[in-house]
Amino acid sequence: MKCEMCHKAEAETAIRNVVAGEAQELFVCQTCARKAGRHDASSEPQMSAPHGGTDGMPAGPLMGMILDAAFEIVGRAISLSEPACPVCGILRDEYRKRSRLGCPACYTAFAKELDTAVFELHRAAQHVGKTPVTARAAWQRQQLENALSDAVQKQRYEEAIALRDQLKKLETPDGKHGGGA
Amino acid sequence: MLNLDLGVVSKKARDLLADDIAMRCRVRLARNLSDERFPDWATERDRERVYGKVRDALHAEAPDFRVEPVAAFEEQDRDVLCEAHLISKDLLERAAGGGVAYAPDGSTCVMINEEDHLRIQGFSAGLDMQAAWQAADALDTRLERHLNYAWTPKLGYLTACPSNVGTGLRASAMLHLLGLRLIGEIEPVVRGLERMRLLVRGIGGEGSEAAGQIYQISNMDALGVDEQTIVQRVTRISGEVVRQEYNARARLIQESPLVLLDCLARSLSVLQNARLLATSEALEFLSAMRLGASLKLFTRLKVLDVDQLILLMQPGHLQKGMGTSLTSDERDERRSEFLRRKMANVRLKT
Repeated sequence: MKCEMCHKAEAETAIRNVVAGEAQELFVCQTCARKAGRHDASSEPQMSAPHGGTDGMPAGPLMGMILDAAFEIVGRAISLSEPACPVCGILRDEYRKRSRLGCPACYTAFAKELDTAVFELHRAAQHVGKTPVTARAAWQRQQLENALSDAVQKQRYEEAIALRDQLKKLETPDGKHGGGA
Repeated sequence: MLNLDLGVVSKKARDLLADDIAMRCRVRLARNLSDERFPDWATERDRERVYGKVRDALHAEAPDFRVEPVAAFEEQDRDVLCEAHLISKDLLERAAGGGVAYAPDGSTCVMINEEDHLRIQGFSAGLDMQAAWQAADALDTRLERHLNYAWTPKLGYLTACPSNVGTGLRASAMLHLLGLRLIGEIEPVVRGLERMRLLVRGIGGEGSEAAGQIYQISNMDALGVDEQTIVQRVTRISGEVVRQEYNARARLIQESPLVLLDCLARSLSVLQNARLLATSEALEFLSAMRLGASLKLFTRLKVLDVDQLILLMQPGHLQKGMGTSLTSDERDERRSEFLRRKMANVRLKT
C-alpha cells in the first residue's frame, strides 16, 4: 500500500489526522509520519514544554518524537486486515490496495477515510447534480426504516408511530426496480 | 510558398478548421445498482445477474439498441468496437457479465460491468458536447425507471472508484494538436489544463500516450458541480485549446513554413513507400497527413478521409477488412500496402 500523503513510499504506519473536528486515520510512510509530527508540534504550541523541553531538547523535535511513538502505537493497534464493510466484506487493506470499493455500502463503512479522499479528489463534499427519482425515494424510505427500527429498539413509541405513518405515506415500491436485492 | 493565409480566411472557414481540430466528444455517466457488488469485487454470478437487469431495462426503454455480452463477439469485432472508441480495453479484459449495448446510429452506447455496472456514453462530432450530454442523460433517465441506482443526497451517484462519485460524469473532447507540438508549445498548454483541474490523456484513455498528437481533455471534478456546468466548462476550455491550436497553425505557416512542409512531405513519402508499418508509426504519419488535409495542402485528401484511414488501419479493422486473422508482422505488411494504395494519388501542394 502506498503512503496516503506522498503517494510514493510504502505505508508503514498509521497516523491520526483531525479534519473538521473528526479524527481520521491515514496510512503513511515514516518520512511523512515524522513531517506530520513536526507540523502538529509547530501548529500546537500550547502542547510544547514552556521552556523548550525538559531534557534540554528543543520542543519541536521532542514533540515529533513523542508523536512518532504515538503513531507507531496507533499503527500497531489497527489491524490492516480487519473486515471493514459489513455488506460486501472487503478488507480495509484490500480496498486501499486496489483503489476500488467493493459495493455502494463501502461508502458508509469507510466514511471517515473516504470523506477526506473524496474531498481531496473533487475539492467538494456535497453532490449538487442530477437526482434520480426512484433512488431518492428508496433512500428516503431506508432512512425512515432505520429511524423506526431505532425508535422501537429504544422504546420511543410515539416517535415510532409517527415514523410508521410517514412510511405509509411514501409511495409503495411497485416491484419493478431491477436494482433491488 | 504556401498559398494559405489563416489570418484572412472567412469565419466559416475558421469554423470548419475548428471542427477539424476538435475530432469528437463524449459524455460518460457512471451508474451502479444499489444492492450489488461493484464489478471488480463481484462473482461471475453477480455480474451475470447485473447484466440481466441492465439488458431487461434496455429492452424495455431502448428496444432498438443491440445488447450483447462481450463474449458473444468474435475477437476481431471486439477490437473493432474498441478501436471505434465505443467500448474500452478494460471491458474486453473483464470476464463473464461484461456487455455492450449501442444505438443503431452509434450516438449512444452502454458498457455493462466495466469498472461500474453501467457506463452510459453519448458521442457527438466536433465540440457539440451538449448533444452528447443530452443523449446520455436521456437514456440514463429512461433506464432509471427500471434500475435502482446507488445514490445518496450527499455523495450523489456512488461509483467503484471515488474519483467518479457525485455526478458520475466525465465529459471529454478529442483534439488533434499537432500544430502546438510543431511550434513546441504543447507542454505549457497541457500544464495549463492540468492546473485548471482538467485531465489530459492520449486517445487510449487512462495512462496512454498522446499518439499522433491526439489528446483527450476531460473534467477532473465530478462532485460539487452540476452536469451542465461540467459540460459547459469542458466545452469552453476545449474551445480555447482549439483556438490556440488554430493560432499555432497560423504561426507555423507564417513563421516556419519549411518545418510544416518538411513534416508533411516526409509523412506522405513514408506512407507512399514504406513496406512495413506498425500501428503507432502509421498513426504518427497519418496525424501529419490530417494536419495537411485540414490546411488544404494536399490534393485528393480530406480530413474525413484521414480519419477513416486512422480507423481502418488499426489491427481489428485491418483484419476485419482482410477477412482473416494476421500475425503482427503480417499486419504491418498489409497496413503499409493498404496505406500505399490510399496515398498513391495524393500530392503535396507547394
